[in-house]
Amino acid sequence: MSGTLRSNHDAHHLILERFNDAAKRGVQSLQEFFVLAGKALGFIFVKPFYTGDLFQQMDAIGVGSIGIVLLTGFFTGMVLALQSAVQLQTFGASDYIGRLIAGSMIRELGPVLAGLMVAGRVGSGIAAQLGSMRVTEQIDALNTLGTDPIKKLVTPRVLASLIMLPVLTVINDFVGILGGSIIAMFYLGKPASLYWRTVFEQILSGGFTLHYIPNDFIQGLAKPFVFGGIISLVACYHGLNTTGGTEGVGNATTRTVVTASILILVVDYFLTQIILVLFP
Amino acid sequence: MTDEEDRRRKGDERRHPSEKDETAMPRRAHDSGRVRAAIRNELEEVAEDSAKKETKQGVRSPQEQVITLDNISLAFEEPILENVSFDAKGGETIVVVGESGTGKSTILKLLLRLLIPDKGRVLIDGEDIVDLTFDDALKVRQKMGMVFQGAALFDSMTVYENVAYPLREHTVLTEDEIEARVREKLQFVDLEPDKVNDQMPSELSGGMKKRVGIARGLANNPEIMLYDEPTSGLDPLTTATITYLILKLQRELGVTSIVVSHDIRSAFRMASKIALLANRHIGFFGTPEEMTGSDDSYIREFLGGF
Repeated sequence: MSGTLRSNHDAHHLILERFNDAAKRGVQSLQEFFVLAGKALGFIFVKPFYTGDLFQQMDAIGVGSIGIVLLTGFFTGMVLALQSAVQLQTFGASDYIGRLIAGSMIRELGPVLAGLMVAGRVGSGIAAQLGSMRVTEQIDALNTLGTDPIKKLVTPRVLASLIMLPVLTVINDFVGILGGSIIAMFYLGKPASLYWRTVFEQILSGGFTLHYIPNDFIQGLAKPFVFGGIISLVACYHGLNTTGGTEGVGNATTRTVVTASILILVVDYFLTQIILVLFP
Repeated sequence: MTDEEDRRRKGDERRHPSEKDETAMPRRAHDSGRVRAAIRNELEEVAEDSAKKETKQGVRSPQEQVITLDNISLAFEEPILENVSFDAKGGETIVVVGESGTGKSTILKLLLRLLIPDKGRVLIDGEDIVDLTFDDALKVRQKMGMVFQGAALFDSMTVYENVAYPLREHTVLTEDEIEARVREKLQFVDLEPDKVNDQMPSELSGGMKKRVGIARGLANNPEIMLYDEPTSGLDPLTTATITYLILKLQRELGVTSIVVSHDIRSAFRMASKIALLANRHIGFFGTPEEMTGSDDSYIREFLGGF
């Protein structure tokens, strides 16, 4: 009897210990992530500036992603218009399809889709590259040669993502709305002028001044900015912490895409809530 | 690269750096008799050079302690090093040997302050680097050149850019001066700058990568060179070439070196002193002659068939 009690006690103790270890590791990882983020962002303003690396990353992250952003944006805009057309026709509101497409693309689908695409394409690339550099001792070599790897590798990637993701999102929004216009014209038979007028009504109905920036602009540009930071920092964090050779590089890449994608969707919700409260 | 070019490149690399007569060294690895003879000749030559080194030690006073590890202990999940102490005087080459996984490479990371010991002091030129800030540690690292086990060349850069990297980061040299320095260092490691400058690391053989790694480590004219398994994974001829280069550095530039190696044959060729790491401690620290004369059973077993 006492033997059974003792073994139960030991089992509970073991479970608690494992839980405790896992919690400690989680907190430590979170702390390391925020330290990395703080340093990477802080180094943006500290010399030396690796301008060449920044432009190289802007090219790789931004220009290199235009193709997939154009494709996904265009087809998403078309399918969104196709699905909405059926619903809007039911209520006799199909004239407003431009407003619906513009609002959905600019506020939600543009930033989230561009974010997810870039997380898959760029996030995985960054994690694999930095992970390979870690396992082949190139990160140690940078340290040895008196270069801070965060400044040289992380800061240019984060800054490039912060700049380029909003640009990619605007392109995504535009081709999405363009895709919607094709459905509006050829499926619903609406004139292009009507479609584009409703699009501009959605975006600029309340005007645009320094004191009043329409909600679509705030949501449409703040979200990709935040997503750019999330993708690049998550990728750099997993890349720099790669262990275990080539298998570790694969794990870092997978973890980056999964973590960044989930974070984009979760943060999107909270960011929307915050922006709607702050800018009703 | 064509097969012919590749063959020529590999042939060039295997040529002994000091050889003027190309026919004196074997060009084909499968010609084993000639290879063995060449290695024998080369090692004899290296041994002679090594005997001469006493008279040619460089800028540092041989009595000046450049590197000191004082009672170092380090543990991660389990102890790695316990009460490890040894020192290197100016111009000496200390070879750290030991079985795999005994923490040999950890010692180099402690010297570079990529790791901080749990206990003890690491002195570089008399300065304890353990408590330095990150920025000050970067400055100390500029006194050192490091050659990594896999060379750790930046694979997105050409050979030229790799060797020029530390100069661009830490000096105000003009591009012409940088080019001259890169040429000098590549020539020092017996590579032809015009041939290799524009090559990417992925196009180089293992031995060439190691040599470019040495050239990059030397670019800033460091006072201290650290080598992590410089001869691992190399064929006997290339191993002899790298050993020769390390000795050449010691002889001609008076650089103080710490070499981590499991290649006991090369260790005996290049070492002023050997530190044997066993069971987290320094089991032996002394000259190669003292080591071979030791009656300690572990040392005899470690030296084994050598």
